[in-house]
Amino acid sequence: MAKTILELQGVVKRYGATLGVGPVDVDVREGEFLTLLGPSGCGKTTTLHIVAGLLSPDEGRVMLGARDITRLDPQHRDMGVVFQNYALFPHKTVLDNVAFGLRMRGTPRAEIGGRVRRMLDLVGLPGVEARLPGQLSGGQRQRVALARALVIEPTVLLLDEPLSNLDAVLRKRMRLDLRELQQRLGIATIFVTHDQDEAFEMSDRVVLLNGGRVEQVGTPEELYDDPATRFAAEFIGETNLIEGVVAATTGATIAVDTVAGGRYDAFAPGRSLRSGDPVYVMIRPERIDLVSERPSGAVALPATVVKRVFAGDIVTFELRTDHGLLLHCSKPSLAEYRALAPGAAVWAIVRDCRALPRDGAAGA
Amino acid sequence: MEASGRYGRLLLTPIAVIYLVALVAPISFFLVMSVFRYSALDLWIPTVTGENFARLLGESYHRAIIARTLKIALLTSVGCLALGYPLAWYLARTTSAWRGVLMFLVIAPLMTGVIVRTYGWIVLLGSEGTVNSVLRGLGLIDRPLKILHTEAAVLIALVHILLPYMVFPLFAALAGQDPDLERAAHTLGAGRARTFLEVTLPLSRPGILMGSALVFTLTAGAVVTPALMGGKDVQMLGQTIYELTMSTLNWPLASAVAFLLVLCQLTILLVYFRVGRRRVA
Repeated sequence: MAKTILELQGVVKRYGATLGVGPVDVDVREGEFLTLLGPSGCGKTTTLHIVAGLLSPDEGRVMLGARDITRLDPQHRDMGVVFQNYALFPHKTVLDNVAFGLRMRGTPRAEIGGRVRRMLDLVGLPGVEARLPGQLSGGQRQRVALARALVIEPTVLLLDEPLSNLDAVLRKRMRLDLRELQQRLGIATIFVTHDQDEAFEMSDRVVLLNGGRVEQVGTPEELYDDPATRFAAEFIGETNLIEGVVAATTGATIAVDTVAGGRYDAFAPGRSLRSGDPVYVMIRPERIDLVSERPSGAVALPATVVKRVFAGDIVTFELRTDHGLLLHCSKPSLAEYRALAPGAAVWAIVRDCRALPRDGAAGA
Repeated sequence: MEASGRYGRLLLTPIAVIYLVALVAPISFFLVMSVFRYSALDLWIPTVTGENFARLLGESYHRAIIARTLKIALLTSVGCLALGYPLAWYLARTTSAWRGVLMFLVIAPLMTGVIVRTYGWIVLLGSEGTVNSVLRGLGLIDRPLKILHTEAAVLIALVHILLPYMVFPLFAALAGQDPDLERAAHTLGAGRARTFLEVTLPLSRPGILMGSALVFTLTAGAVVTPALMGGKDVQMLGQTIYELTMSTLNWPLASAVAFLLVLCQLTILLVYFRVGRRRVA
């Protein structure tokens, strides 16, 4: 495993009597793209500002390697920050904006011009040195902000929702460009976003924040497949959550009796769940197969199509099982699925279901 | 579109009439008057002459008044800027619950008359005033200091009275700045002083120019405060016009002084629009 280069240890920030964030424990590894994901007000920008030194935590420590930088001023931290609105200095040219950090570091004049130009080439924006930020498009400003943050060769790159002000097409392209640039430079990056697609496409690991606390940390696959909490399950992707109680456990496989009736064999790796624990059975909508004939061998639930929504590449269904459960299911836009109209009788085969703790029951 | 143009004209008519009657007409009147000949009997004789301007610029008495007026206007602007900038900066940046109260305190002086505020300063600075009483009570001085009827007294009162005109443009310029700009400068390695000099100050330039232009032109034309605080000893252009118009009844000379004053003020406004309105973003 790569070395940890930055670590937040039990960081707490209060605004008056109300809690901003905390306690938050996060580690950033060498060369890693780490995303702080969460709804607005979850404390992700506050956490980023604490890393940058723009906010001072009330409790806890910020460690850069073995060095405690909790009380270090931002100008001595060597962190490159890209702000949501880019925060380019409107009265300075692109050249002076990008050169700013180098000048503050006392880089020799002769060296500055070349480094600025090389960095502008790297972000794919050559030849705009003489322009003012006001004369650039949103996408160009974003690249200048990136160049300004990177030219100082920071230890960590901090990105605060840098893509949220771009239009949809540009945003998708910048995701790929940004990720590629980050990998090429091998720079540890903390990325803040409320957009789950962005987080999943770009990140090595995702820290899911909710109400100022860390809900779950993991790779995008881990967060999608095994959400630790109801919030994680519902914030990330579409999901079916069925209330139940653990009936029996066999290793990582547990049998769950649902409240509505019926037993599911769910998978719960790495969770110590015991008989009698309240749980949710989680089923992702694309992991339900629909067939019209009763299948042999597989466990299948008889159900009726309640609603069908055509969304181009996929078709989503609302099913009511004979137990009375409402299930959401999504299938590729193929003729066999498009033919299933409301009222059609189907068999739902659950390909993969997971169990996660419910109502503060012991988890993880 | 045409209708909106017609309504637009209709809406602008009352203010246009007021401006025409109360501003353009009198200004044209004294512009013309300033080149007429003075007569003790007829007030003025309509023959074109340059003697009013020659007197104004030639006599050392008048030249001293012009120089003093410009000096006091400049010093008042500098004083208001020096006191107003920190105040405006604090008001723009504070998240304190007292911000509203402080804003009110800045505006409050504008709600009392200029005479009331000037008399307040007379009470403080007079030879039997508070400042002298305290200094004598402390045994620091034997005889009362002459503070009233000095340029310093005029300056102190004008800075106090005109401060809000400086604070508000500055506040608007500072409050309009994206707080992330200063944060960005910090993360790029600039300390507080460098950030102020490189980012905050240049971006507040429109406010500095606007506030200075307002305070300068208001000071240059001030009458009541210089008259009450300075008296005969600190004569400025405003008082000169007043006296020439009301007691000496030399209207042509008064018009020439007024012409000069308006010229000064227009120059300042022109500089403001040329320099201050240069777009930065």
